[in-house]
Amino acid sequence: MGNKQTIFTDEQLDAYQVRLLHGRYHELAPHLVPMDYTNDPDCKLPLALIVNMPELKENPFRNRIVEAFSEDGAGNLSFNEFVDMFSVLSEMAPRELKAIYAFKIYDFNVDNYLCKEDLEKTLNKLTKEELTPEEVELVCEKTIEEADLDGDNKLSFTDFENMISRAPDFLSTFHIRI
Amino acid sequence: MASDPQKQGSGKLYDYTEGNGYPGDQQALRLRRISSPASSQNYPQFNWSSAPSEEDENGNSEPHRDLRSAPLPMALKRAIRQVQQMHVPVVSSVESWKRKKTKSLHKLKDNARGFLTLWNKSLQKIGGNFGGGVQSYFLFLRFLVVLNFVSFLLIAGFVLIPNIVFRSDGTSLANSTGPEKCMEYDPNPQGLVVFYKYFLDLLSGTGFMEYSYLFYGYYNNTLGEDRNFSYNIPLAYLFTVVFYFIFCLICIIARMGTAARVAVATGGSTVANYSMIVFTGWDYGCLGGKATKLKQNNIHYRLQVDLEEERIKKQAAALTSCQKVVLYSLRVLMFLISCGLIGAAFYCIFLATNFSQQRSGEQGILGLIFEYLPSIVITAGNFLVPLLCDQIALIERYAPSTTVIMALLRAVFLRLVSLGALLFTLWRQITCEGHTDSGACELCQYNHEVYPCWETRVGQEMYKLTLFDFLINVAVLVLVEFPRRMVVDNWPSKLAQWVGRQEFVVPYNVLSLVYGQTVVWTGALFCPLLPLINTIKFVILFYCKKITLFYNCRPALKTFRSTTSAFFFLVVLLFGWILATAVMIYSLAEIRPSMGCGPFRFLSNIWSIVPTSFYSLSTTTQEFLFFIGSQAFTIPLFVLSCVVMCYFIALASVYGKNVALLRAQLKLEGRDKQFLVKQIAELSRQLQIPKHNGVQDCR
Repeated sequence: MGNKQTIFTDEQLDAYQVRLLHGRYHELAPHLVPMDYTNDPDCKLPLALIVNMPELKENPFRNRIVEAFSEDGAGNLSFNEFVDMFSVLSEMAPRELKAIYAFKIYDFNVDNYLCKEDLEKTLNKLTKEELTPEEVELVCEKTIEEADLDGDNKLSFTDFENMISRAPDFLSTFHIRI
Repeated sequence: MASDPQKQGSGKLYDYTEGNGYPGDQQALRLRRISSPASSQNYPQFNWSSAPSEEDENGNSEPHRDLRSAPLPMALKRAIRQVQQMHVPVVSSVESWKRKKTKSLHKLKDNARGFLTLWNKSLQKIGGNFGGGVQSYFLFLRFLVVLNFVSFLLIAGFVLIPNIVFRSDGTSLANSTGPEKCMEYDPNPQGLVVFYKYFLDLLSGTGFMEYSYLFYGYYNNTLGEDRNFSYNIPLAYLFTVVFYFIFCLICIIARMGTAARVAVATGGSTVANYSMIVFTGWDYGCLGGKATKLKQNNIHYRLQVDLEEERIKKQAAALTSCQKVVLYSLRVLMFLISCGLIGAAFYCIFLATNFSQQRSGEQGILGLIFEYLPSIVITAGNFLVPLLCDQIALIERYAPSTTVIMALLRAVFLRLVSLGALLFTLWRQITCEGHTDSGACELCQYNHEVYPCWETRVGQEMYKLTLFDFLINVAVLVLVEFPRRMVVDNWPSKLAQWVGRQEFVVPYNVLSLVYGQTVVWTGALFCPLLPLINTIKFVILFYCKKITLFYNCRPALKTFRSTTSAFFFLVVLLFGWILATAVMIYSLAEIRPSMGCGPFRFLSNIWSIVPTSFYSLSTTTQEFLFFIGSQAFTIPLFVLSCVVMCYFIALASVYGKNVALLRAQLKLEGRDKQFLVKQIAELSRQLQIPKHNGVQDCR
């Protein structure tokens, strides 16, 4: 970032990393993204550009990730949201924050519940649709059975968070290096 | 208007600058619908009026940390921080200097921790590319390297350096009693030695290496004196070795404690399997098409394995009693066969060691092969028997996870039994099959003709095992894995593709580490520098395995669970430790030390140096030590330990009950919430109908 108008000090975000992220953001669309953020320009990059980043290109959830961090829900990220995305996915983000955004990513129909259709879509993306429909059905049933605490046949955020708290690998898998 | 939905997400915190006139109703409606589809209703409500609290001792102020972990959009966080900064209290220059110093100290601590931890970056890279299971192997290897290095420092400080310092002077601690024949020991090579013999001696620990600091035989049984400071070398040797064992035990148990804590906190890995795989299975750090495809196959495989286990459980429950009987008798048969295989391996090693001892005088390459025969047979057994056991496991038809555990336990047992066989054979020959009063052992209570210095001999065997293990690992790397990869990559035939690249199988690699460490522990009493050799060996092994992992291996399809596996590795290491301790205790207490060499010559057993030196202490110390050993002290100590243990058990059970209670409460809260939401829906429906009617009437 060109100048010190930013209110982040070194403790909040490493200034070097912000510059790095800005470099990456800029190279996605050099003619759209200004180098100087003094006047806080309102510039958003569309979904199609962002999911072409090498870190996201092969991720089956790339569309959902970008949509979860965009304010308009359609995947257009401003630079702030871009930084937001990579800071939540970094190794320093706390577990609760990661859980909140993981829930949003897996919630395909954005109704604040992980219902069976969300799970089916997640599973198909995970296994590249190689499971038979009966197996998908079985796994979704078992997942809801295991994690659903309030018995409404879908997972609310509390159920999800409770399940994540017992997963020791979550912090290390929900992590993108940039 | 197009930018309205964006602003709505942040709710009431932005000014609506649109000057468009909207009908009053619709504007109110828009303001009421605060959340856009993208923003979650789970955003915590931020308390604008809270002043930042005093900083805690970490140098981080609480609101800053809360802000970081709040799931708000970045722009909002910035605004909040701006407001917070306006609230920052004015502090004196001393205060602010103190705060700055604590912050920089904190940063320095973090940097130092990252710097001092060995191989941190490599481990992260390995974990990122190959997963947690492979990473746990390398973490285990790093733990062993550090353990061995610290042990070496211990031994060097208390045994090696005093011996070097007090080499020439010092009074002998025990007078020579015993027949002259027993004291004949001349390890130095006679006459002109051929050059390549040095190389052979290096590999087998004989010749110029035998009478050196490497082995037990070189150390003196003297009391090093220097002005008014005396150092009892034999006592130091004994206590260092005993302390080394206890230190290793403490390290293993401490590490097991941390691993167990993780396993307990997650409530056991069998619970909530599917949800874990679905939600935490995907590694977001996967880069590249190949890694992604592999990860997908991996997840597919894991789900299939779990589904398969379910199916097998259902099948097992549905078996008729006749089929059950058949299955169980088959399993018993297979168990007996696997025991038989292990027994056969034991016998082969026994024969090989006997043969090697008989032909120990041979020269040249043939002599070297005979020297290494036990190691060769052990390695061959460790390679063949697990293959056969894998075939046996197919017949047993256990659930997949049980099969893996059974295979590993069999392999562990095999390795430790092989080592035990070698030691047993040596023992037979040293003590003339236990009858120390007959035959060749009559004179000195050990076989002085074949083993003038039996401790050095045992040390040499352990040294050879360590070296051979290392050479085999490097040889397999160079001669098998690299060529295999070159063949698979460059030769486009069906056979090559079916064979495929090497898979890094974690459990067997870990077992080989455990075996190496057990050998070192067993040999530590007889070859004090073995921990140093092992440190160097493991460091080189780390780099070799890392290279082979990245160049030759494809990630394993069958993953090994990383959280419980750390605990499992340490349990297996503990088995090895127990074997080594048993050997050490037996050598200390039962076998007569050689009379021609070593720091314990002329004593009836190694442990008797302790009572001998005891009486040279001052009277008060003697009385104090007697008191500690007496019943008046130990019984109250024992009772106290029981009380403390009961307290901890009670505490643990209370915490467990607490956790279960909280879980149940969580469920109830969920149901309450559901109920309340239904109530709200009911009520709003009831309220809306008359209101709607009223509006209709008005119009």
